[in-house]
Amino acid sequence: MTTYLVRRLFQMLIVTVLSAMLGYSLLYLAPGGPLLFLQQMQNTGQNRVTEEDIARIKARYELDLYLPVRFTRWLIGFPRGPVQIFGVYLLPPDTVVGCAIPGQVRLRYPDGTVEIVEEGCARPVTLADLEERRTSRGILFGDFGLSQQIARDRPVSDLLMSRLPYTLWLMGVSTLLAILIGVPVGIYSAVRQYSRFDYAMTTITFIGSSLPTLFMGVMAILIFSVLAKDAGLPYLPSGGAQAVRDYTIPWIGRVEAGSLLDRFLRFIMPVSVLTFFNIAGWSRFVRASMLEVLRQDYVRTARAKGVREQLVITKHALRNALIPFVTLLAGVLPTLVAGAAITESVFNWPGMGRLLVDSLGRSDYTVAMAILFISTVLVLIGYLISDILYTIVDPRIRLS
Amino acid sequence: MATTTSVAPETAERSQPRSEGQWAVVFRRFRRHRLAMISLAVLVIIFIASLLAPWIAPFPRDDIGLNRVALPPMSVDPTNGRLHILGTDHLGRDFFTRVIYAARVSLMVAISVTTLVAIIGSILGLLAGFFGGWTDTLISRVMEFVATIPDLPILLILSAIMIQNADLIVLPSWIIGPVAWIMAVPLREATQVTLLILVLASLGWVGVARLMRGMVLQVREMQYIESARALGGANAWILGKHVFPNAFPPLIVAFTLGLNAALVSEVAISFLGFGVQDPTPTWGNMMGFATSYMFNHPWMPLIPGLPIFLCSLAFNFVGDGLRDALDPRLKI
Repeated sequence: MTTYLVRRLFQMLIVTVLSAMLGYSLLYLAPGGPLLFLQQMQNTGQNRVTEEDIARIKARYELDLYLPVRFTRWLIGFPRGPVQIFGVYLLPPDTVVGCAIPGQVRLRYPDGTVEIVEEGCARPVTLADLEERRTSRGILFGDFGLSQQIARDRPVSDLLMSRLPYTLWLMGVSTLLAILIGVPVGIYSAVRQYSRFDYAMTTITFIGSSLPTLFMGVMAILIFSVLAKDAGLPYLPSGGAQAVRDYTIPWIGRVEAGSLLDRFLRFIMPVSVLTFFNIAGWSRFVRASMLEVLRQDYVRTARAKGVREQLVITKHALRNALIPFVTLLAGVLPTLVAGAAITESVFNWPGMGRLLVDSLGRSDYTVAMAILFISTVLVLIGYLISDILYTIVDPRIRLS
Repeated sequence: MATTTSVAPETAERSQPRSEGQWAVVFRRFRRHRLAMISLAVLVIIFIASLLAPWIAPFPRDDIGLNRVALPPMSVDPTNGRLHILGTDHLGRDFFTRVIYAARVSLMVAISVTTLVAIIGSILGLLAGFFGGWTDTLISRVMEFVATIPDLPILLILSAIMIQNADLIVLPSWIIGPVAWIMAVPLREATQVTLLILVLASLGWVGVARLMRGMVLQVREMQYIESARALGGANAWILGKHVFPNAFPPLIVAFTLGLNAALVSEVAISFLGFGVQDPTPTWGNMMGFATSYMFNHPWMPLIPGLPIFLCSLAFNFVGDGLRDALDPRLKI
């Protein structure tokens, strides 16, 4: 078991680094970011932006470093400056790791036209320069760096922490509700297979899972917010996690902005949409698993012994049917934190999913990378937990 | 039991002139699923309407009119007195026209993504399952790696980067040309659509490859493969003639559900603003604009929303019907 765990953790580390590399190269290829803004200023000619300004901004976001150096600094916070072991420089202070101001070469064509081409480097960045900079400890050690656009120069982790509670609440409650509703429905559907209840539930859950959350969310707002409000009926406020100013709802009365009631009313729709969407998965899974167990010999034996039907189902069948279910729970882990980008966007919910959408819309790639990185790590942890849970709930399986 | 099985086939062969083929059986079983048949009809109608978009659209696609902004359905154009069946959008463009052009883009994106995914996925799955060894190891590791990357974030990041810089990425004209023709969009807009197709396909093939690999692993052990080998068949012949046809049926269901997944992804990405950009209409970006105007014009999101709803549900029902029809254990 220990060797297995060690090997798995090592593999996880490799996959994490690989996917971080993939994400980081994407980020590197992506234009935009803080420099785009500067270029726009330069083009419109409002302010004179000197080469020095550009070099300073570049240095702040490490854009002047070569890709491998940037990557290792971002991933593990290395190198922070010259590297020496026992007084001997492994990487001396004058090692060039980037270029602050690109060199310019004047090309004169035979027909007399002149073109200025960037070539070489007018002022290189060396390891000695890196010592003065604020250095991230590396994303592997939990330092996500600075946000470039959304919250300028504030740590990404602050931004993430401010969004995390909203996502945890939304995803936690909707997952819990989906399980609490889906599992009993699945069990009942399996016990009464092909009954009217089974057909009705199959159809409803099927429709729920077929509809995109986008459509369901928009329709929910349309019916319960817009149309209900227009008709003078009590309506559900939508947009954001809390109101900016007080409002009145018919029959309920005045709702204070930011009060518990206000938050609750705004919570109902996104949670219901996500729950409705997810119930199907859980109930179908439990139904299939239960149907399989109900055909097993030990269930027939139990019935033959004269065990009451209710006991057969709860004691013999259900316990075994829930074995695969437990392992599914680990798969929920990443979504709890990463959130639901679309539902959160539709309802303007200030969670992690919307943060990702916002960060992409405003080219704040450090934030986007942080979210991608966290979800990848959580997916990997989820896999590991589910594999371990397998051995716990089903002793026949051994990890090797 | 033994006597009946040994005698029955021969007599059956003789008494019946010709037993119906496998696909006839599947189709007969599929027809029993009434919802699936209705869904198929709905899909065919929407698909044909989208193909005929340039002919049945009453207005030019991007015809902006500031004197007819956000007209409700069935209203009359103030300038020329023509009818806007589904009203107009926030820029006064005819909704009916845009919905059928959008159907063309959205459905064609879904179809091309799923076709690409099916081709790439089944080739890789076939190779991994059939040859085993290091081929399998390599492909399986890549599949595991792609599967660990969370879909939606990476899709959003990829498409945001690609679409926002669509002008910088030069695609060969033999790709752009046909895409522009199929989607009925100008060449300039086709680049975005092509990029979105590539992004969606680059992450979508894993599911199909895994399914195919699993099926091939089963089929590979069958006796008819062994006899094909004994006949001296080359690998390519065995793969194409024996392995693929027998591993193929589950792929049909995966294809149908894949169409839905691709449609929904395209809609979601365009809705969030990282997919196909206005003025190219897709149901996703139309939904995006409609939602920002829904508080004053509540009917607006219904117009792109209903086709999304219908298609999504219909793909699922057809997939469900096909699954039942193809499952030999199920008696219908």
